[in-house]
Amino acid sequence: MAKRETPLLDQLETGPWPSFVTDIKRQAETKPECWDILGILELSYKDRITHWKHGGIVGVFGYGGGIVGRYADVPELFPGVEHFHTIRVAQPASKYYSTANLRQLMALWEKYGSGVTNFHGSTGDIILLGTRTENLEPFFWDLTHDMGQDLGGSGSNLRTPANCIGMSRCEWACYDTEEACHELTLKYQDEIHRPAFPYKFKFKFSGCPNDCVAAIARSDISVIGTWRDNIRIDQAAVKEYVAGNYAPNGGAHSGRDWGKFDIQKEVIELCPTQCMWMEGGELKIDDKECTRCMHCINVMPRALRPGVDTGASVCVGAKAPILDGAQFSTLILPFIKVTKDNDFEELTEFIEKVWDWWMEIGKNRERVGETMQRVGLPTFLSVMGVEPIPQHVKEPRSNPYIFWKEEEVEGGFARDIDEFRAKHKA
Amino acid sequence: MALSKDELKKAIEEKALQSPKPQLYIKDFYACDPDAKPRDIKNVANEMVREGRLAFWSSGSTTMYGIPSRIQNEEGA
Repeated sequence: MAKRETPLLDQLETGPWPSFVTDIKRQAETKPECWDILGILELSYKDRITHWKHGGIVGVFGYGGGIVGRYADVPELFPGVEHFHTIRVAQPASKYYSTANLRQLMALWEKYGSGVTNFHGSTGDIILLGTRTENLEPFFWDLTHDMGQDLGGSGSNLRTPANCIGMSRCEWACYDTEEACHELTLKYQDEIHRPAFPYKFKFKFSGCPNDCVAAIARSDISVIGTWRDNIRIDQAAVKEYVAGNYAPNGGAHSGRDWGKFDIQKEVIELCPTQCMWMEGGELKIDDKECTRCMHCINVMPRALRPGVDTGASVCVGAKAPILDGAQFSTLILPFIKVTKDNDFEELTEFIEKVWDWWMEIGKNRERVGETMQRVGLPTFLSVMGVEPIPQHVKEPRSNPYIFWKEEEVEGGFARDIDEFRAKHKA
Repeated sequence: MALSKDELKKAIEEKALQSPKPQLYIKDFYACDPDAKPRDIKNVANEMVREGRLAFWSSGSTTMYGIPSRIQNEEGA
């Protein structure tokens, strides 16, 4: 394949930031078809329209996900990208790789594909960009048989579950995110590899409310670690922070002189619920008002730690801004225990209840969060068998209106209106 | 399920053959047996893919089902 002239793309290389154009040109030295990626993109810039066809039939036998078909609509001009399918490879839990594993994967991709990668897609998968249909089965065989790795999810499937590093390295993890992610990935193999739903479905596991995998922004079911007792306080360490002997924020932001640490200004006044104060040289917290924002713990990690009665909050319905704007997930279950001791039963029962409802009620290409929005939170809670609590109300002060069901009102809705009007004028 | 598995497969196949569009969402097959659970329909449709009677068509974000020859004809067109 011949080198392509790409004057429009070349301009992208002139900025101060690293350019994918430079990367692809470098890759084209060993994989000449990469010139056709640049060529077709240059043509799209000129024509102001994409030259990739929309989807297609492609995959490996037995799987309905993990491969995304991409075909050029001008193959005679760019034969190198006539087929340019994407392969999604499931990432290891917490994205722990060995260099040997990465080398093996890259050797496989150089053999069967363009060598172009994206680490990682927003779901978390390893994205391998660009291969031909006839290479898919051989690649899949080697990936699964020689490397013991699997494809991830795509299409209307459960997408590859993702988790933070959890208890493997983080003292704040309130449950074992790696164990939960691993167990649920094994349990829901059918849903990952074969389409089951009206649209995509994701779950992500964060060990604490810092939410390092952005579960609350990106997943249909966000499992976020929390605690229901009190923040643990080491008052001696608080004094060390106040005296300036311990660096705040674990020493982060230390490249600049921010002045002496001020616990009032940097911790107490920044508490969103104002539930902290100093008294007699000690830090006090009114834990029942704490919203688990993690700010105080992040600033003074040697003095403050999450409680010991730990589990997770489960939120439902986040999505990226495709149809109706970006949406965070909504708190549904304030606290559940997430543990292998009961095979994550409380969590999986809830997940399957959500799926059964959404498969029936959800419209085509409607994320579960959009279905929830369409039917309303009270209906969703009622179907899930969850008792409403004040934290489910989004804006109680601006909209305190409550719809009562007839069975919740003493005497029902059939009452003597004359008797009522005798006491209350219309 | 009101229909037997074979009857359901036949109904799905007919629906996929007669539909104006070659690709159908999984929900489009629910009407083939209104008494069946969505999960049962999904399992039967996926079994039909393994048998070669249906094929997956994917845009990357959404997966649809269709008769393989009908989808291939449209893609070749």
